[in-house]
Amino acid sequence: MQTAALLIDLARLWLWAGAVVSVPFLLWGVGRVEPNARGAWIFRPLLIPGVLLIWPLVLWRWLVLETGRDDWAKRHLPPRRAHGFAALLLAVLIPLTILAGLAIRQAPPSGAPVLLAAPE
Amino acid sequence: MRARDEFFIGFFPIPPGLRPFLAAIAAALILLFAVAGWFAASTQAAPDEAGFRFDFGRQEVTGVLSLHPYPVIRVTEGSERLAAGRTVMLSGGGKFAPPQVAALDRRLVKAGGVILRRGDLDMLQIGGGERNLSAAEGDAPALSPPERLGRWRLEGEICDGKCAAGAMRPGRGLSHKACANLCITGGVPAVFVSAAPIEGATFLLMAGPEGGPLPPEALAFTAAYVSVEGEIERIGDLLVFRIDPATLRAL
Repeated sequence: MQTAALLIDLARLWLWAGAVVSVPFLLWGVGRVEPNARGAWIFRPLLIPGVLLIWPLVLWRWLVLETGRDDWAKRHLPPRRAHGFAALLLAVLIPLTILAGLAIRQAPPSGAPVLLAAPE
Repeated sequence: MRARDEFFIGFFPIPPGLRPFLAAIAAALILLFAVAGWFAASTQAAPDEAGFRFDFGRQEVTGVLSLHPYPVIRVTEGSERLAAGRTVMLSGGGKFAPPQVAALDRRLVKAGGVILRRGDLDMLQIGGGERNLSAAEGDAPALSPPERLGRWRLEGEICDGKCAAGAMRPGRGLSHKACANLCITGGVPAVFVSAAPIEGATFLLMAGPEGGPLPPEALAFTAAYVSVEGEIERIGDLLVFRIDPATLRAL
């Protein structure tokens, strides 16, 4: 029960941090880093749920774009290069995880009931 | 254009060089998912015959209600499917105890609802409203006292009596555990599914050491195979397992 409560508290904290990030980003930040967003306001509330979830990525991309360190031509190269390896890794890891889960799960018990003390 | 430069576009005819490859991939995927489906299903226990018995129709019985450890009715006037003398566990809709039940403890009541049945485990799901659960005329008759059967060590699984009786197909793992714990904390009777029959019963109503509801520490052991010791007593035709939570041990 305590673990479940801790997980919920952590999720709540994460979402509140996202809410804090979403205010400056959607009011000012998105217009500064994305020219097409300037003067466009209606769509911005639609981004709130996404910002709540991936706010660290939002902050990182905001920082990269603000400081002019973004190189759009290279942006997708490293992930693309890793896709082949990731695909192979997942093809091995997913069956292994399933098989490990099946191997370590409990076997149904077969013990007969044991009378420890007869009724008084 | 060289063959290796052929490119698949959905709305154009398939390039000849890609046809064998696409056919092989399509056949392999169909085969892969069929095998994966068979494999996943083969790792699960058979659900057996259990569930809501709407085909029995609404059952209405009269009997003495007891809320300890969980709501049960000791039937004095039975119905077609629940004979007099039976002790039947009760639940409400969803993951809850029967509604408006607190004031009726130890009183003669009329209860109506639908049966859930798995093997020798019966549960009556009571709907809302007075039509389904209300005080009956007359005093509660004197019933036989619990018969003590001694202290036992059993192996099996702690489940909630409603899902185990067929409201759900009892599963395995974390979702099964969360489901069972929600039912039990909602007031649905907890049952012990014994690995082997004891006094002819596979399902025992569970109780805490003092005869109250299952102690909270036992919820950490639900939906897993465990060994546990406790006193067993017979109330009517129902076995009640008053566990000693200190002896709970995952197998």
